[in-house]
Amino acid sequence: MTTTEKTPTTPTSPAALEVHGVHKWYGTHHVLDGIDLSVRPGEVTVVLGPSGSGKSTLLRVINHLEKPELGHVSVGGEPIGVRRHGARLRELSERAILRQRGRIGFVFQNFNLFPHLTVLDNVAAAPVATGKLTRDEARELARELLTRVGLGDRTGAYPRQLSGGQQQRVAIARALALRPGIILFDEPTSALDPELVGEVLAVIKDLATSGTTLVIVTHEIGFAREVADRVVFIDGGRIVEQGPPAQVLDHPRHERTRDFLAKVL
Amino acid sequence: MSQPPGAAVSLAEAPPAGTTSRPPAAQRVLPLRRPGRWIATAAVLVVVAQIIHGLATNPFYQWDRFRYWFLRPTILDGLLITLEVAALSAVLGLLGGVLLALGRLSGSPVLRAVSWTYTWLFRSVPLIVVLIFLYNFSALYQTLSLGVPFGPAFVTFDESRLATDMAVAVVGLSLNEAAYASEVVRGGILSVDQGQHEAAAALGLPKGYQFRRIVLPQALRSITPNYVNQLIGLIKGTSLVFYVSLLDLFGSVQTMGSTYPGDIVPLLLVATVWYLILTSAVSVVQFYVERYFARGATRTLPPTPLQKARTGLAEARARLRREAAV
Amino acid sequence: MPHHLSRRGLLRGITAATAVTALASSLAACGGDSDAATTTDAAGTVTVGRLSNGAARQTALKVSEVKAISARLPESVRSRGTLVIGVGALPDGFPPLAYVGSDQKTLTGAEPDLARLVAAVLGLRPELKNSTWENMFVGIDSGKVDVAFANITDTEERKRKYDFASYRKDDVGFEVLKKSTWNFDGDYRNLAGRTVAVDNGTNQEKILLEWQAKLKQEGKKLTVKHYASKNSTYLALTGGKIDAYFAANPGVAYHVTQTARSPRPTRSAGTYSGAGASLQGLIAATAKKDSGLAEPIADAINHLIDNGQYAKWLAAWNLTTEAVEKSEVNPPGLPLDNS
Repeated sequence: MTTTEKTPTTPTSPAALEVHGVHKWYGTHHVLDGIDLSVRPGEVTVVLGPSGSGKSTLLRVINHLEKPELGHVSVGGEPIGVRRHGARLRELSERAILRQRGRIGFVFQNFNLFPHLTVLDNVAAAPVATGKLTRDEARELARELLTRVGLGDRTGAYPRQLSGGQQQRVAIARALALRPGIILFDEPTSALDPELVGEVLAVIKDLATSGTTLVIVTHEIGFAREVADRVVFIDGGRIVEQGPPAQVLDHPRHERTRDFLAKVL
Repeated sequence: MSQPPGAAVSLAEAPPAGTTSRPPAAQRVLPLRRPGRWIATAAVLVVVAQIIHGLATNPFYQWDRFRYWFLRPTILDGLLITLEVAALSAVLGLLGGVLLALGRLSGSPVLRAVSWTYTWLFRSVPLIVVLIFLYNFSALYQTLSLGVPFGPAFVTFDESRLATDMAVAVVGLSLNEAAYASEVVRGGILSVDQGQHEAAAALGLPKGYQFRRIVLPQALRSITPNYVNQLIGLIKGTSLVFYVSLLDLFGSVQTMGSTYPGDIVPLLLVATVWYLILTSAVSVVQFYVERYFARGATRTLPPTPLQKARTGLAEARARLRREAAV
Repeated sequence: MPHHLSRRGLLRGITAATAVTALASSLAACGGDSDAATTTDAAGTVTVGRLSNGAARQTALKVSEVKAISARLPESVRSRGTLVIGVGALPDGFPPLAYVGSDQKTLTGAEPDLARLVAAVLGLRPELKNSTWENMFVGIDSGKVDVAFANITDTEERKRKYDFASYRKDDVGFEVLKKSTWNFDGDYRNLAGRTVAVDNGTNQEKILLEWQAKLKQEGKKLTVKHYASKNSTYLALTGGKIDAYFAANPGVAYHVTQTARSPRPTRSAGTYSGAGASLQGLIAATAKKDSGLAEPIADAINHLIDNGQYAKWLAAWNLTTEAVEKSEVNPPGLPLDNS
């Protein structure tokens, strides 16, 4: 797969994800300093940046785990966590926000699987709880998804009986169970032993080729080069530069990008 | 280290060359002898035997009267009251404790303050005072009694005497228990990893589902042992319900002790043994409840006593076989 | 000590637990009815001394309503038709005055018996309400209880809140272990060097403290101990922590008979008049101040005295020495500085 094979989006179809002038402060610390970003459906975006640059916060703002102080995020053309009220934006009820999150998959660095539920129930829980599927349908789907991530034989296990790589693959299956329009990955391989990174990246790559819209925060430059349609480099809460991997990774225009790549590679 | 390990050993121990009949790797290590431990064990066994012998033969304990009293209807009536009051208060107290804990953790400052004040108040006021106040509720609030909007529990307040005594006891103990339970539950909820809340929120699970199916089951793992402690205290706390004219196990023992003053000691022993039985029963239930909530938290569940006995036996057998082979 | 019991106790308990599980379901219907001591007497008869566990002779007494007296009852009580009688004998009773009887559930004793006799004269249905000592008084205050018959001493302090109708004097006595050689012999000097327990706030406590003061003047020592309950006092006596228990004599007499077969039997070591040197302690029925109940109750007691039922009641409970000549409304009680 190469970037040139992607179908260019027609101007009329809404972007899969749009970030409009998002600012976020932690106390006096300006974590996100005016982020604008637009992701086409099916596009794979890799977000790079030094630690503390705000890339994880950006992901958490996208699915409204964190509220932006200024600006807003739209997924599939629908504002997240807010609704338009005339010219203004009003905060949505917690219930409505929870419903919106069903359309945004999220994969955590530390997996955050539910330890008291079996692998199968971890995956099947959300579709049942949100009333999308019956229990039997959800379990059927969960079995399918677990087979897809290569864990069809571990459905009865509890998360702590699995390796880190296996747990992260379950977490991906769990995110897929709601059939989200977009999936966010927050450093999905950072908590893994080096020999387990490959199996998780393989699953993500499989998703990328199947046309799912992905936003991935990672430090795996090689992986970025391989799967990304676009690389976004963030530093100090701003997007420093973005573009196809060949451009950003091999011919960075900014000093800061060059510094970062020199340290990581 | 370029030397083979065998060479290092021979240097350290310096045995005469050629006397080692086996390579050291295959040699069985003889366990350390512990004569001190054996002596201590024997001494303790002798003391225990003496105590048991003393208990059985000392006429002071009047074991024949113990046998007479142990299953008397009046004692069993009291035991039933103890069980009823403790069970109802444990359930209502836990429910109240969950609500209070949620109040403490809520975003509303008013709810937080009310929960905190409730817990502070009922942990400070002696249970006896709560019971006496409730029992004499009509005396204290004679003119207010109709106007106070106190929910359905108080509607039955003056209907039947028996129901009233029981209701007052249960309400009083539950009010008290809820204050302690709220702290236990709050601690349990706080012990659940923040990532679990985030994962549940990120999946868009409804709020109630998040609490009931994700947070609470994990919190219960640390709530259980603490709440069982509370529960055992509660079972003994029921001995105060004579303040609302209800005779529990200990109350029955005290009443019978004054009618049959020659039997005070065996009666106290009867109460002691019943409390031992209740505590033991609760501990057994605790073990299995904890085991249930340990699913997923540990890679393997703690073995049940039966499983433990079985593996212990198998291990001993294997060791014997091994030792016989050497 | 309890942990020494665990092995033996547990074995015993586990075998019994099975039996109890089976019993528990059948008992569910009959818990805690100890204050429902209703009698099956025919009209015009009150039986006293029932279920006394050897403390009394069961005697049937003829009593019927005296209209002249019942007419003086407050209207609210007369129209209700019941007399709610408070007895503060929880959790441990004070036999033979008020305690749970030999069926191990019915409230009996000399005090409830007199209350039932009084109710009969007043033409009211007696309803006994057993509670703790404190709750008995709060019950009178709140109107839950009409009148208490519970060995309550008439004191000036209590008169501020309550009306009294006196009905009995009390004798006090010493109880010692049977193997003890000590005797009171009517002389307080015999108490020198002894440790004696007494109940808080009682007539006998006052007497004992007076003797203690006198002995002190003579350079001798009497140690006075108080315990939380009767049961713990008796444990201290049988355990040798105290030499004697100075208590109401009917209680001492009951206790001596009851412990005769136990490993540490006791005996009476002499009695003393509860009137003491300067005091006349009186036991009285206690009602709320100005409730209008004390007068008809005193009349009813006097009716029972005049017609002989009073004497028979005392005789049935072996309390004849405590008889009063007549019942008085609010007689002089223990002065304020004594109570």
